[in-house]
Amino acid sequence: MDLLSLVHIILPLLIVVAAGFAVLLRDLISCTIALAAMSLLLSLEFYILHAPDVAIAEAGVGACITTAIIILAISMTKREEDER
Amino acid sequence: MSEMSKIVRSISNLLLPFILIYGFYIILHGHLTPGGGFQGGAVVASGLIMVLVAYGSERFASWVKEKHLSILESVGALGFISLAFLGLSTAFFYNFLAGKGGLFGDIPPEGSNPGALNTAGTLPLMNLAVGLKVIAGLASIVLVMGLASHYFRQEEKNDT
Amino acid sequence: MSKRDLVGVISLLILVGFLGLGAASMREFGVVDRAYMDDYIISHSQDEVGANNAVTSVVFDYRGFDTLGEATVLFAAVVGVIVIFRREVHE
Repeated sequence: MDLLSLVHIILPLLIVVAAGFAVLLRDLISCTIALAAMSLLLSLEFYILHAPDVAIAEAGVGACITTAIIILAISMTKREEDER
Repeated sequence: MSEMSKIVRSISNLLLPFILIYGFYIILHGHLTPGGGFQGGAVVASGLIMVLVAYGSERFASWVKEKHLSILESVGALGFISLAFLGLSTAFFYNFLAGKGGLFGDIPPEGSNPGALNTAGTLPLMNLAVGLKVIAGLASIVLVMGLASHYFRQEEKNDT
Repeated sequence: MSKRDLVGVISLLILVGFLGLGAASMREFGVVDRAYMDDYIISHSQDEVGANNAVTSVVFDYRGFDTLGEATVLFAAVVGVIVIFRREVHE
């Protein structure tokens, strides 16, 4: 097995792990950081699938602008998730 | 959103020119390298939003007025539409500058080659128009949301 | 388990079944089954448009109308956000 196919296996697993952290963490700021990390890993995955256009758009919109908008929304409400 | 610490502000000052140059490079070389108007506009808007988050939305709003952003957005949209209409003698969105010589009119050699900047007809102009539109749109979304959160917090303080 | 949960589980099972069916009949990764348009664009875009980047020549020239729609969607999103969030400062 060469290196690239190994990366093709490891990166989606890392994306799933980051998405799981975004769902499971209680602190909403940490969830947002996990979501940004997921976007960055997803843009890396797009890049190794030979789609650099989509990778640039995903890194710009997903990792920066979405994070800023979600953090603005959190600053208007409260930081911790409700216990249920 | 209030102002952040001095470390964050200095780092964002240091990084802003590089992000802006990279974004405009992606926009202007859209017909040669991967990327284009939307991608480069998203990168430039990311740099502006970094400054907004570091300095707070009120100070950012005193530098970049909402009116300027709306003018930029209108210029982008009107340029895109009028470039599409200028080729109407043949078809809507006809590339009327390609292959004519003159402005962006050269034809690159066949096959894979690094390419020349003076090619591709209306594509660089359309990239620039869409890039301006995306910069103004995304920056004004986050600016308006930041100002709304500021006013929201002020109203809450006044109520209590 | 209420009746509502049962309906949800059944519709989820149907959805997963259809998705699995679609994934089973998918072609191999990286193999194209219809390539007329791809071949045309790859061989002609440098002559007709003059751009080395074939993706940009598709987005702004061959399928320029789609990009117009995308720009309209972005404009509508910006207008909606500004209408909702803009606060006039009184006094």
